[in-house]
Amino acid sequence: MNTPETALPADADDGGRTQETLQLLADMGREFVSTGDLNAALYHAVEHITRYIDAEGGALFMLDESGATLTCLACSGETEITGLTLGSDQGIVGRCVQQDTGTIVRDVSKDTSFFKGVDEETGHVTRSILCAPLSVKGERLGAIELINKRGGDGLFVDGDLTLLTAMADSAAMAIVNARMAGQLVEQERLARELELAAEIQRSLLPEADEALPVAGVNVPARTVSGDFYDFFQLDDGRILFNLGDVSGKGMNAALLMAKTASLFRCLGKAIDHPGKLMARINEEICETATRGMFVTMVGGIYDPATGRLRLANAGHEPPLLVGADGTFRELPADAPPLGISVMLVPDNGYPVEDIGLEGGAFYIFTDGLTEGYTGQGQELGSHGVRALIETEKQAALGERLERIIAAVRDSGEALRDDLTMLGVDDSAPARKRSADNRTVPKIAQHLAAIEVPSNPDRLRMVREMISDCCEIAGCDTDARRDIVLAVDEACQNVIRHAYGGDANGRMGVSVWLDSGQEGSRLRIEISDDADPVDPATVRPRDLDDVKPGGLGTHLIREIMDTVDFVAPPVEAGNILRLTKTL
Amino acid sequence: MDHETREHGEHLIIAFSGDIDLQSSSQARTVLLDAVSRGQPLLVDLSGVEYIDSSGVASLVESFQKARKSGLDYVLVSVSDGARRVLELARLDKVFTIVSTIDEATAGGS
Repeated sequence: MNTPETALPADADDGGRTQETLQLLADMGREFVSTGDLNAALYHAVEHITRYIDAEGGALFMLDESGATLTCLACSGETEITGLTLGSDQGIVGRCVQQDTGTIVRDVSKDTSFFKGVDEETGHVTRSILCAPLSVKGERLGAIELINKRGGDGLFVDGDLTLLTAMADSAAMAIVNARMAGQLVEQERLARELELAAEIQRSLLPEADEALPVAGVNVPARTVSGDFYDFFQLDDGRILFNLGDVSGKGMNAALLMAKTASLFRCLGKAIDHPGKLMARINEEICETATRGMFVTMVGGIYDPATGRLRLANAGHEPPLLVGADGTFRELPADAPPLGISVMLVPDNGYPVEDIGLEGGAFYIFTDGLTEGYTGQGQELGSHGVRALIETEKQAALGERLERIIAAVRDSGEALRDDLTMLGVDDSAPARKRSADNRTVPKIAQHLAAIEVPSNPDRLRMVREMISDCCEIAGCDTDARRDIVLAVDEACQNVIRHAYGGDANGRMGVSVWLDSGQEGSRLRIEISDDADPVDPATVRPRDLDDVKPGGLGTHLIREIMDTVDFVAPPVEAGNILRLTKTL
Repeated sequence: MDHETREHGEHLIIAFSGDIDLQSSSQARTVLLDAVSRGQPLLVDLSGVEYIDSSGVASLVESFQKARKSGLDYVLVSVSDGARRVLELARLDKVFTIVSTIDEATAGGS
């Protein structure tokens, strides 16, 4: 049963000895498999094999990661060399590693590879060496070396090498397994952390609310996403929304996304002007280094009560405007992304576009959608997005976005980028607006009109006209007094704010009595030719803060039922419409 | 808008009449701030005010704040219905001390 190559030690024909040898290998194998401390197991193995083969000493050398050096990891016997480092081709152990074969050197003085340095250092005399490589499928890990056989004729035999080789193979396998297990544990830890990060990130997205005419979808290409969207309703019913795309993917993009999204939500509650809000976010992001990352974003504010949409575009893919008649219009950006430079943004913020949706819809999406594959290796493209919007126009907004996204998500092709889309659908709010308007039937009786210069000394004329109109409309004294005050305050805003105090502007005041079965209302329209007023700046002040000034707008809103800017017939100028149900 | 200033014991009475609007409120403001700087407790008579707007109210608020800083009493007297309505809308009717007559204001050393 024994060939010379596989022979067990010389006295192996002793059945008890064979049994013992197998037992040793089995024990060491078991310790390698079950150990939580590989180094200790390797140390035991070296100790056992040294004693078993009856050598003076033994040592286990490991290659470093680069393969340049061999370091003694464990040793047994009289000479302590743990930590000793050799070049990976130095000595007999180096040769054994390089050639990946075991070796018996019965007289080291006749072997030119022998490295005398250790003996010189330790005073130990090496006569013979037995060495077996540690390797798995050609992957070299190191070697085990025994020194100076004690018993018998003091020479290592083939059986010793066979035994050492068997043990080295078992140890090598244990080392590789332990390394792989370590990598797996690390990978799993990272995966768990990514999953946690993704969970936090999902919680930054707003919850779907079918009652709102705004919805969004986000499908990350990896666990975490560099895209985001958000929307929330302000106390006055207007809805602030955004969609952004951080350059790059992965964890660093996700972190910048979290920062940007948080800034938008936090600052958006105080700054309801999209251009100024985004300029502020830009400043914040620019203030800290982002390692060359930047954020493209469309941010806006939508008022379901009027269908007006104001938006700013910081370098993002052009959003799509879909009219109630199905016509498409792209809204390209002419401002830089967030996080590049404060200098590139005008002092008064990102440019803002003001749009009347008038029953139409508005979509923002990331290039993950337009550049996503639809199945035949074809990019969806902007035309594809338009076609899907057209096909799915009957679906509810949230469902519509899901189906459009699904064209790329479910194509069977791996996602190349995050898919994110946000939509604003004005169709339901528009129906409600027109229903609200119908409650006051359209029998409009023009009561009076006056055109005066924007001079405070003409306000009395306006007040008298309004007072007379109220009397014609049948208002009681209190209502008349209130309406006169509201119109007077509105005219003051024109003089002071729209014209900035210039007394030579044109100011028109026109009064109608709209009446029908459901009652009647007084409608007053105040027009001017000044530069368009930002309605966001015409807001009631906080009354808890009792200070002079800023009170007029509060009085107007307190008295009148509706206060709205309506689109003027020509480019310039403003028309403020006030109504009061009688 | 017209106004009249007169002494009443230790008090200074300023009586406005007519419209306090954007055109006249800066004049009302000057009158009121000057009165406060005379250092006497102030009675502002609004019985003759037919109309007051937010700028007029702002003049009242500003002079009231200045009087309070100087530790001076500042009382609105005989506020006309129209003026009272505006103070209510501005939610300032609880901020000012408002009495019906001059006697009420000067009685009890308030």
